[in-house]
Amino acid sequence: MIMDRLARAFDDRLRLSPLTRRALAKVFPDHWSFMLGEIALYSFVALVLTGVYLTLFFDPSSADRVYQGSYAPLDGTATSAAYASTVRLSWDVRAGLLIRQTHHWAALIFVAAILVHLVRIFFTGAFRKPRETNWLVGVTMLMLALANGFTGYSLPDDLLSGLGLRIIVSVVESIPLVGSWLVFLGLGGEFPSDEMIPRMFVSHVLLVPAVLVALVSVHLAMIVRQKHAQFPGPGRTEHNVVGSRLYPSYSLRSLALFAWVLAVLFALGGLVQINPVWLYGPSAPGQATSPAQPDWYVAWGDGALRLFPPWEIHIAGHLVPAPFFPGVVLGGVTFLALYAWPFLERWCTGDRRAHQLLDRPRDHPVRMGVGVMALTFFGVLVVAAGDDIIARLLRVPVYDVLYVLRVLVLVLPVLAGALAFLLARALCRSDAARLGELTRADLRAAGQGADRRAGGRRVRAGEARAVDEPELPTPDRPGQRIELWPDGGVWRWRYRDEPAGVTLLNNRAMLTEREAVDSARLAYPGVDHVAVPGPPPPAPPGRVRIALRRWGNAALGVSLLVAALRQRRQRHPDGDGPRPE
Amino acid sequence: MPTRGDRWSHVTRAVTVGMVVALAAGPAALAAPAPNAPPGSNAPSGPAAPPETAAPSAGPSALAGATQGRELYRQNCASCHGDQGRGSQRGPSLVGVGAASVDFQVGTGRMPIPDEMQQPRRGRPVFSADEIAALVEHVTSFGGGGPGIPRVTEGSLGTGRELFAANCAPCHGGTGAGAALTNGWNAPPLYEATPVQVAEAIRVGPGLMPVFPSQVLTDQQVSDLATYVQRLRSERLDRGGNPLGRLGPLAEGVAAWVVALGLLVAAARWLGRRAGE
Repeated sequence: MIMDRLARAFDDRLRLSPLTRRALAKVFPDHWSFMLGEIALYSFVALVLTGVYLTLFFDPSSADRVYQGSYAPLDGTATSAAYASTVRLSWDVRAGLLIRQTHHWAALIFVAAILVHLVRIFFTGAFRKPRETNWLVGVTMLMLALANGFTGYSLPDDLLSGLGLRIIVSVVESIPLVGSWLVFLGLGGEFPSDEMIPRMFVSHVLLVPAVLVALVSVHLAMIVRQKHAQFPGPGRTEHNVVGSRLYPSYSLRSLALFAWVLAVLFALGGLVQINPVWLYGPSAPGQATSPAQPDWYVAWGDGALRLFPPWEIHIAGHLVPAPFFPGVVLGGVTFLALYAWPFLERWCTGDRRAHQLLDRPRDHPVRMGVGVMALTFFGVLVVAAGDDIIARLLRVPVYDVLYVLRVLVLVLPVLAGALAFLLARALCRSDAARLGELTRADLRAAGQGADRRAGGRRVRAGEARAVDEPELPTPDRPGQRIELWPDGGVWRWRYRDEPAGVTLLNNRAMLTEREAVDSARLAYPGVDHVAVPGPPPPAPPGRVRIALRRWGNAALGVSLLVAALRQRRQRHPDGDGPRPE
Repeated sequence: MPTRGDRWSHVTRAVTVGMVVALAAGPAALAAPAPNAPPGSNAPSGPAAPPETAAPSAGPSALAGATQGRELYRQNCASCHGDQGRGSQRGPSLVGVGAASVDFQVGTGRMPIPDEMQQPRRGRPVFSADEIAALVEHVTSFGGGGPGIPRVTEGSLGTGRELFAANCAPCHGGTGAGAALTNGWNAPPLYEATPVQVAEAIRVGPGLMPVFPSQVLTDQQVSDLATYVQRLRSERLDRGGNPLGRLGPLAEGVAAWVVALGLLVAAARWLGRRAGE
């Protein structure tokens, strides 16, 4: 009742209800792969929540401080305040270690979920017009997530992260002409500078998160504005979105995912140790620890640095240090390629139309091949970052592992890409529903196309055009119709496809019949309209809903009974006078 | 504490070796009067002397130790290291390696090795504590000096940690989990090393490990290091939960991808719908 009055009061003053009604009626596609980005979003929420707790105890300073606490080997040792406060957080602050570990796990999952989401967007062609801008925003967020992950990893000032920081600084120094100046500008001096930690801290907790929050908002606002893309299917066109409404069904589902994310992150934070900085010891320029790797999302850079041969390349008489190529050039090319991909693909295919229906990954064998090739390449690089661990586990010399990986990083992506291309084309040309249903003849046909390249490309272009054909109003669609009916003071409509057995209810109520007809025409151009007298009978409730309703009724009855009994008991002692103690 | 740990390790070693021998020899060992004596040994049977009194004290016991050491050496070591410890093509000279080296190699089960390998691996020691003592005595009788078995006392954890970070962490890792070196060599994990073995390795420098003589690390510093390494073994240091082998960020990355993201994607799949639905 209070909520009701409060809502009414707000609505009187701000006129929120039309907006809220529209927002709550927003439709989200039901396919599970649309929730991958939400995993990243909720990891980000977890990062912010745990990060706020950490800032209460972390001291971002390289000033000397004597650690005094329950970790005996460091007790009474003078280290940097950043390190001392991190060890204190881990050993002496209540729940400090749980929150710190959860924060770190959330960072790993955040980037991993972004990557999985990006892979989904890439292979289904969701980056095509009109969603290129959102792709650019997303890639920027990935870059910021990597940067923020790295500064967060470096903040504790422990020995392991100190090594990583030294490597990044060396990579920046390797940029010709400006490298050393950039380092001086960034660090405010030579490498282990006193400015380093405070600056990273400001960027880690203030600048980059603020930009990330802004970009997340832009990302979501664009989705609301442009509406979701969706997979093709019965009743799904370029002009509508089929799925569940935000309220109540989708918000419940999304909250469930939020709970899952928090549960998994905190379970890991409590059960699996991550980054035990007290064991690594404080950072010192003259010391090292081994095996030393960065977190996985930077490991591809580390792997590239390990694999790149120590060539001394002179350009115009100036030495370009070897780390420049795997460090700066590879990173730059990677993100440039990511930024440029939607435009590159549009330029190559000549497809300039807007797309609301997604591709199946198999529909574009070239995109499939390129994507798998890139993923394999970076996968091998990540593995290469662990070359010493592999050498130790397999008991083989490190350099042998390194040479094998040098070959693999060049060969494996090409092989994997070609295989993915062929399989995608075989799937696309045959009528096999899944990979297991491919016959040998399908594969042979796909391979033959690869030999005759020019012919193959023309066929592919033709296929792409057939797939991308916009839906035109067709005069005759047997079995499909729009049903309109008045429902109280409003009009509703639904789409029915009798042969396919599909019924889709429109998510919003319209004030007039005219409006309802217009909206139905927008979503399903060319489908006949039928006005039906009354609302169609509601679908029989599912088993779960029946059980829930029954249990709800039972619970209501029981609670009423309990309340009545308690009231009775309270009244009775009063009537009987004071009870004997 | 270190001396207690030392004795404790001697006792456990003796007990484990005894059990292994008993299991291996089976019924024969049940019939034999002295279960500690390996089959075929010429050593006078009888209860083994405690390790403290084994070396210098009593005359007959020392004499028995010398014979036992010579016999053990002939049976297990001489084929590679030569009868007089001068070495052969299959094994290096043992003249001047010192008592610490012999005690380390045999006590950690690295020697005797079944066949030639670049880097012998740690294993269960083949000999009992007093057999090892006898072997040590026999090999030192080849002459040449060399570092003796260090005496480890209680050290300071803080100093030990600093010395460890400066001298040991680059190869054995800050967590003591070990790491790969060049040419197929490994710096082994330190979790099974006793304080005396840690001190011996520091003084001897087995394999690729550098030697740290007393001019570089004093006896007290070695004790500090041994104390810290003992502490590093403690599982209580894995305060955050499963340490994932203390292998660092890549192992954590695998856990993040396989366990966490796997679970979350499965959750999304469960909450959402599949393509055909």
